[in-house]
Amino acid sequence: MSDTLVILKREFRSYFLSPIAYVVGALFLGIGGWLFFEGLFFDTGQAAEAKMESYFGLLPLFFMVLVPALSMRLWAEERKLGTLELLMTFPVKTMHLILGKFCGALCFVAVLLALTLFYPVTLASLGNLDWGPVLGGYLATLLLAASYLALGMFISSLTQDQIIALLVTVSVLLLLILMRQVGMLIGPWWAEVFAIASPREHFSSIARGVIDLRDMLYYGAFCGFFLYLNSLVLEAKKQVG
Amino acid sequence: MIQVENLVKYYGTFAALQGIDFQVPSGQVLGFLGPNGAGKSTTMKILTGYLIPSSGTVTIDGIDVLEDPIRVRKKVGYLPENNPLYHDMRVDDYLGFIADVRGMSSGGSKTSAIDRVVDVCGLKRVWRKGIKELSKGFRQRVGLAQAMIHDPEILILDEPTSGLDPNQIVEIRELIRSLGADRTVLLSTHYLQEVEATCDRIMIIAHGRIVADGTLEELTGSLPPGELKVTVKGPREDVEKQFAELFPGGEVRFRPAEHDGEVSLRIESKPENDENVLEAVFDLAKGNGWKLLELHRENATLEQVFRRLTMDPVEQPLVMGGSGV
Repeated sequence: MSDTLVILKREFRSYFLSPIAYVVGALFLGIGGWLFFEGLFFDTGQAAEAKMESYFGLLPLFFMVLVPALSMRLWAEERKLGTLELLMTFPVKTMHLILGKFCGALCFVAVLLALTLFYPVTLASLGNLDWGPVLGGYLATLLLAASYLALGMFISSLTQDQIIALLVTVSVLLLLILMRQVGMLIGPWWAEVFAIASPREHFSSIARGVIDLRDMLYYGAFCGFFLYLNSLVLEAKKQVG
Repeated sequence: MIQVENLVKYYGTFAALQGIDFQVPSGQVLGFLGPNGAGKSTTMKILTGYLIPSSGTVTIDGIDVLEDPIRVRKKVGYLPENNPLYHDMRVDDYLGFIADVRGMSSGGSKTSAIDRVVDVCGLKRVWRKGIKELSKGFRQRVGLAQAMIHDPEILILDEPTSGLDPNQIVEIRELIRSLGADRTVLLSTHYLQEVEATCDRIMIIAHGRIVADGTLEELTGSLPPGELKVTVKGPREDVEKQFAELFPGGEVRFRPAEHDGEVSLRIESKPENDENVLEAVFDLAKGNGWKLLELHRENATLEQVFRRLTMDPVEQPLVMGGSGV
């Protein structure tokens, strides 16, 4: 078994031993389900349609809190327990440790998402569901979660304290989500420039089912950038202990 | 074979290691002694590649730790200080994970490796228990099992018995001694009896420097020999007066006696004069009708060596590489 896969497996399984992960899962499915069905059945403003757009539209904000709660422990807990020293002295490359942990956490998010497949299946039974945008929405959600996780995991590597990791990650994500509004403070042209950096901007078109290579590249670069920063932090720790 | 050359490590401006050189030949059990903050853990962290030295080289079986850390780590089993463990895992899951991460393919070799450490470390009883439920002694055994699951040629154990009760200490110590029979072991400890009981060779570090290196006999023999201890049963004033007359050079110091009616004293003398001094003391006691209860030379202990070397800020090395090189 490749070493990345071994780390992935342990990380993934550890979520099932963690109370926080269950709380996140319950909130995601509970509140998410309520949002979904409320938008579907009780939205009297428009004719009810068999689509999930409004649900996907809420996810960038919803994930802003839930994903950091999953990513906060990734390194902070290892540092606190001292198990980082074990991990770093196993015959495994630092980048493989990072990828294993990242993918393990992403798999847990994927499981949570898979549980919501129940919604579109319900929809399809009620009306004529266009599966294209739905699958696009799921893909977009997974990419969004991946970018949040990469950022949250990097911030988790900077501290031993999970709460600090959580608060800082949520704050940074909030800033990233509001990039367009931040740019607006300077001027409308800047708003467009700043918006390019925001994961939320790249989310909406994929969530509508439009798969643009640029959006894919954006998410890939975003994750790659923070996973690389993560490796720099771990390498720097070898200097200072 | 561990080879360490001129190892220097700075934390900011603080020099944790100020030039450490030593070698550990295969099959030797080397005990690392030193006060807290002397640099024991730092040295071990550098040997395992967890820390990068500011300068100096470490080679393990000829492989440079900085050049090929992965290959070195395959050869080394490491128990870090405070024995970090994943408390949310069960013993069987944890050791399974360690075996996987050590690249053991599932199946025969993995199962037999796990069976072996479970047997050697006595983990059968707690095999399916959560690590957080275990007593400190069992956790320590899980940590040791982690370090030796891949049957490493070199074991590096940072305070393997800290925080254990005396029974557990004896058990772990026996385990280490049996492990040391066919591999290289480097262990650090605060218990001086531990190195006396388990190690072929002792190294004392203070302030980031090696201040002593050798076998127990070499280290204790390096101190100036102790004094002669004498206990006499007789009238106090009489005894004190007569001993002061016998040794007019002020070599005698009186100590509080342990029992009433006894006089306890120390005589400073060189070992080569022992015969004359012992006879003189015996004759004095016999001539006065005192009962001579005790008369012997106190040997320097490892504790005295340790205290002498680690209390003074700078001390010249006493024995260098006596048996190690």
